[in-house]
Amino acid sequence: MPNVAEQLTAQLAAVVGSGSITFERSACSAFAIDDLVPQCVVYPGSAAHAAAALQYASNNGLAVVPCCNATKLSTGNVPRRYDVALCLKGLDQTRHYEPDDLTVSVEPGIRLGSFQELLSRRGLWIPLDAPDGAGSSLGGIVATNASGPLRLRYGAPRDMVLGMKIATVEGKVIKTGGRVVKNVAGYDLAKLMIGSYGTLGVIVEINFKLYPLPPRRVTRAFRATTLSIARDFRRKVLDSPLSPSRMILLDPGGSAIIRAGAPIARPAEHYEIWIEFAGSEAVTHRSLTMIEGIAASAGLAGHPLEEAAADGGWSRLADFASPGRRGPEDVLLKVSLPLSRAEEFIECSLREAGAAKVGHAACVQLGVGIIHLCLTPEERASELLAITGRIRQAAVQRGGALTVLHCPAGMKKNIDVWGTEPDDFPLMQRLKQTWDPNGTLSPGRFLGHL
Amino acid sequence: MRKIPLDRLKQIAGAANVLWRPEDLMLYEYDGLSTQSAPDAVVFPSSTEQVVQIVKTAAQEGIPIIARGAGTGLSGGAVVVEGGVVIAFARMKKIVEIDVENQRARVQPGVVNLDLSLAVSDYGYYYAPDPSSQKACTLGGNVAENSGGPHTLAYGVTTNHVLGLEMVLPDGTVAHTGANYWDRPGYDLTGLIVGSEGTLGIVTEITVRLSRRPEAVKTLLAIFDAIPHATRTVAAITARGITPAALEMMDGFTLRAVEAATHAGYPMDSAAVLLIELEGLREAVEEETEQIEAVCAENSAREVRRARNAEERDLLWRGRKNAFGALGRISPSYYVQDGVIPRTRLPEMMDYIGQVEERHRLRIGNIFHAGDGNLHPLLMYDSRDRGECERVTKAAAEIIAKCVELGGSITGEHGVGMEKSELMPLLFSADDINAMKKIKSVFNPRGFFNPGKVLPTGKMCGELRVHTGAGGQLAERG
Repeated sequence: MPNVAEQLTAQLAAVVGSGSITFERSACSAFAIDDLVPQCVVYPGSAAHAAAALQYASNNGLAVVPCCNATKLSTGNVPRRYDVALCLKGLDQTRHYEPDDLTVSVEPGIRLGSFQELLSRRGLWIPLDAPDGAGSSLGGIVATNASGPLRLRYGAPRDMVLGMKIATVEGKVIKTGGRVVKNVAGYDLAKLMIGSYGTLGVIVEINFKLYPLPPRRVTRAFRATTLSIARDFRRKVLDSPLSPSRMILLDPGGSAIIRAGAPIARPAEHYEIWIEFAGSEAVTHRSLTMIEGIAASAGLAGHPLEEAAADGGWSRLADFASPGRRGPEDVLLKVSLPLSRAEEFIECSLREAGAAKVGHAACVQLGVGIIHLCLTPEERASELLAITGRIRQAAVQRGGALTVLHCPAGMKKNIDVWGTEPDDFPLMQRLKQTWDPNGTLSPGRFLGHL
Repeated sequence: MRKIPLDRLKQIAGAANVLWRPEDLMLYEYDGLSTQSAPDAVVFPSSTEQVVQIVKTAAQEGIPIIARGAGTGLSGGAVVVEGGVVIAFARMKKIVEIDVENQRARVQPGVVNLDLSLAVSDYGYYYAPDPSSQKACTLGGNVAENSGGPHTLAYGVTTNHVLGLEMVLPDGTVAHTGANYWDRPGYDLTGLIVGSEGTLGIVTEITVRLSRRPEAVKTLLAIFDAIPHATRTVAAITARGITPAALEMMDGFTLRAVEAATHAGYPMDSAAVLLIELEGLREAVEEETEQIEAVCAENSAREVRRARNAEERDLLWRGRKNAFGALGRISPSYYVQDGVIPRTRLPEMMDYIGQVEERHRLRIGNIFHAGDGNLHPLLMYDSRDRGECERVTKAAAEIIAKCVELGGSITGEHGVGMEKSELMPLLFSADDINAMKKIKSVFNPRGFFNPGKVLPTGKMCGELRVHTGAGGQLAERG
């Protein structure tokens, strides 16, 4: 290994401009992945700088992890190498904002929270409640295809991105898609980038489709004593003309989190369902009337929530699903299932957790089939690895998959956080090989240690 | 001439399922784009395994493979460029599984778009993307082109409704992308394959999302005495944050042709109409109807009619969806363009199309997805008139160039295909295109899946590859 520090100071600083690179230990530690601390942090001031830094790294055998606020760095397998944290904080400009066209193009460093604030001044938003929206950059959210319960009605970043610019290890900034809402010109490379965890290129500009802010949002919370009541409710709602914007099921542990913000030692015995409707006065009024009828017929007891209490709950929930907000000993899992299997899966994972004396807090996106599940060690931390394996098996048996979003560094060495490789994995390998032949971008971090 | 292993193909698919006589191949010389080129053979497989065998056989001989659904595409995607074997999916049209509780269906690529919606309608569900050709076009073709349709304004295009694919790669391996649940770990190859126009793999099975039918639907016909009134209304509806399920525009010239053919009730003396559909809860539909009516009035609409029942609604839509056919009654040929612009630029763009029409002494009809800014100018011509053919091609190129200038795209839903491969440099730099070539090299390294499509060949720099004249081969100018 050459003396990377010296090499970089002289050459990389010339590429990205001095003052855009730091070797300070504390700055580097902020972007550590598990026990790996990068040797420097580069802050590109433009897309071209980012591309130049990537090219330099690729030519010199350095490994780069794109990042911004370090909210999702704990997700992924431990990288094989990690020399440079490429922090995109400085790329935080709004490029083309066309509120009347409902489109915008932005740089990746803007945080979702401040972006929503900007949009709300014109009565717009992107209907995305990704984990830790206040702390997460749009680039990070898109690179990980992060979404929250609003996915039920509005989809994921995948459904909102119209195009993007990507910095490649060849030192180029390439464009895919465009800024119009319908476009089929050329291969949709944005789809490849979305959810690729920075292993193919670095997103340096994103074009989003925008949506009008709904005039009113109302939430109802219901208590369910059993999971089969919850299942019955979910079926009835999906079978009705209602289109809730979010609908979640919380186990007793999850219910404690949405109320208190942290797991509590002795959570209540019941499950909780939160459901939100968005629209005009007439629409939300009718929706509430209908949902109360459905809840009563399914055997649920409900109560309205003050808007503030509801907003607080939804945002605590988003934070709950953020890897960066979990404690070092916690295990945060994301389970994706055919939506009808969610309740029985929870039954199974609760049983496993109970037997192993491990804390269990879950949020199920009803109607979507995505579950965030936090396991906390109560007696023996060593149980976490084994129970995660058993829970993964339960997900796979039900036709789904499990990703470990966050776990103690020690545990990560003994588990593949993404699970087994599917039969299209050879194509993914070839894609990675073609786009990043020297393994510059987050080497080893993604599925199959790509 | 290349040798086509007909015996082997017959062995694989059965003798009755291989066409090779010139008179049998004539049907497969074209799709919806006015261009003709005959394949060497057409094979109708009935299973993924047969597709694998066909691909392996073709691979050995280096014979191009072109997948084909119903041949309704409008960019020449299913037409061969330099011969080859067409894999036609007419026999792979099974709906393999309908899973209502999970809102999913698994289908073979030959299933007709509308047939899927009909198959699930008893459960109160449908498949949302609805190309105008939905009575004929196949889901395999929709996946290849990432097709849209009038209702994709609110619900998204094909890519937003496809979760997983089974596909055959050039070496005969079968790969499964995505899943029937969201967010399978790994690269989103499904998202990449949808819209790749048969150049990356041959799709043999598709997992789609089914959508719940709305409680209420209201269809409005807004009538205008001037085109700018209609285009300004579209921009105003978007800017007010009202998202109708569909927002279609038809100019006076087109609607008169449509009315004569379908008697849908369009006013013969108007300059333009907007066909607007609202869906959702009854209350939402009621409110939005009032809002739309107000916007229309503010923008000088002559009248806004509400379809009173399902019959009237169907009639209005029949007019819209059969419009291309209706134009055949008034012009021997027409050339449909498919450009996109930011919606606020619609008034400006329609003026420009008017100028092009005048400059080139042509008739251009306009019927399009106004809410998305997705234009479909229809350029009328007579293929026997050589001068007119040339003027049509020029006019189309100018319209597309203007779309790009306004910040739009060269195609919104019809695909690049053969037609627009040489226009890609209007939108993309050499670096951008190289990145796409790299993708292609991963999936289709020898390039024998649908050769000569999507990516520029460099042979006819900057020109539309369309043959507007009668008969003969693809025009090769420039």
